[in-house]
Amino acid sequence: MDTRQTVAPPRPVKLFHRFANPGQFLRLSGRVLPWLYGSGVLLTAIGVIWGLFFAPDDWQQGDTVKIMYVHVPFAWLASAGYVSLAICSVLSLIWRHPLADLAAAELGPVGAAFTAVCLATGSLWGKPTWGAWWVWDARLTSVFVLFLLYLGHIALVRAFDDPTRGYRAGAILALVGVINLPIIKFSVNWWNTLHQPASIGLTGAPTIAASLLWPLLFTTLGFTLLFAAITVARTRAGVMERRIRMLLMAKTSEASQS
Amino acid sequence: MKRKTKRLLILLACGAGLASAAGLTLSAFSDNLVFFVSPSDLGKNTPNGRQMRLGGMVEQGTVERTSGGHAGARFKVTDGKADVMVTYNGLLPDLFREGQGVVVLGVEQPDGVFKASEVLAKHDENYMPKEVVDALKKSGEWNPSSGSPPPNAVWNAPAKPAGS
Amino acid sequence: MTHLPYIAASYVLAIGVPLFFAIGTTLRLRAAKQRLALIDPRGKR
Repeated sequence: MDTRQTVAPPRPVKLFHRFANPGQFLRLSGRVLPWLYGSGVLLTAIGVIWGLFFAPDDWQQGDTVKIMYVHVPFAWLASAGYVSLAICSVLSLIWRHPLADLAAAELGPVGAAFTAVCLATGSLWGKPTWGAWWVWDARLTSVFVLFLLYLGHIALVRAFDDPTRGYRAGAILALVGVINLPIIKFSVNWWNTLHQPASIGLTGAPTIAASLLWPLLFTTLGFTLLFAAITVARTRAGVMERRIRMLLMAKTSEASQS
Repeated sequence: MKRKTKRLLILLACGAGLASAAGLTLSAFSDNLVFFVSPSDLGKNTPNGRQMRLGGMVEQGTVERTSGGHAGARFKVTDGKADVMVTYNGLLPDLFREGQGVVVLGVEQPDGVFKASEVLAKHDENYMPKEVVDALKKSGEWNPSSGSPPPNAVWNAPAKPAGS
Repeated sequence: MTHLPYIAASYVLAIGVPLFFAIGTTLRLRAAKQRLALIDPRGKR
């Protein structure tokens, strides 16, 4: 799995450990966060206004094609969020990175919510275009499985009295679930599905007319920045809350000793 | 061996095992994962009265909408090699047209006609504004009812002025 | 053909969900900061 190879080389390890220091993370993330929020809101606003009011209608779908500008970013983030979760899991399992545990626990709910929006907007798009809210084809089913994986991770991480065991179990579940990502990506090529194949790929030009494509680039980048902002902010809160718990625990043990 | 390296190796081994297991399972079940069968697949078997999904393109010039009280249509679904006559009583989706991909749910009758209870329009991966389609039609580069559009390099060139 | 209700519902979801998370997280962060300021011996953070 390619997500593992990216963290395997030994050189970046030192870098990771520098950011593993929670104090360092709080300082750095505090500086970055306003920029993430600001640029995310700006790009999303440009994309949404462009898409809703200025982009032309599709010749077949009419104005329903505007749902693309929100559906596609959320579909991309459902998968990209899971890749981040898997990277955190590797960092947690192999390098026992303390920040990765917190980040994974905070990523789960955000990823699940974004996947739910992807499914819901897809449904709202499917009814007027295909004629059905939902079909059990390979693409829709595999994204639904992704949603269940997120829910399983959320539950598992919080299921143990000892948080470390929860993080460990959650990381293993997240890595097992990585197998679902290529299935989602290639389901539309491997099997007959009602869902159409990808319009934008690494190879070949996109099969969306340029006038329809521009707003999509803006909303995709904008929502991605917002996803990152929310995740970083939640991880910050997680670090602070853990520090509060540790301080309180130290206080109670001091009180019982004296 | 360092403990970290050991953990990494264990993880890689588990991943490789899991990936191959999933790959084998998927290839074994790939027939069951198919959402619809094509007209040529349908021609291979005799009608068995079971409900199934048939997917293909609405053949050009074969759509007859039922006139009168209720909505409905007769049309041929083709995959280029074989075609199947489909009858349907009900409202067709907005995207239904000649040359469009469709997936119909129904039963193949003994006479080979496919009686549909549901028609879904399949959208392809191409998105373009009306002006671009009109330009392509005008220049004779694409007739929408005859199949997929030409490569996007052809139609994205005239689309650029509209985008800026 | 227009499908305005479908489009409106999609955009409400797509904008509402991130907004909900952003507000919730900001409140959580603020609460944690205040709490930490009260009990952290190292003071400011």
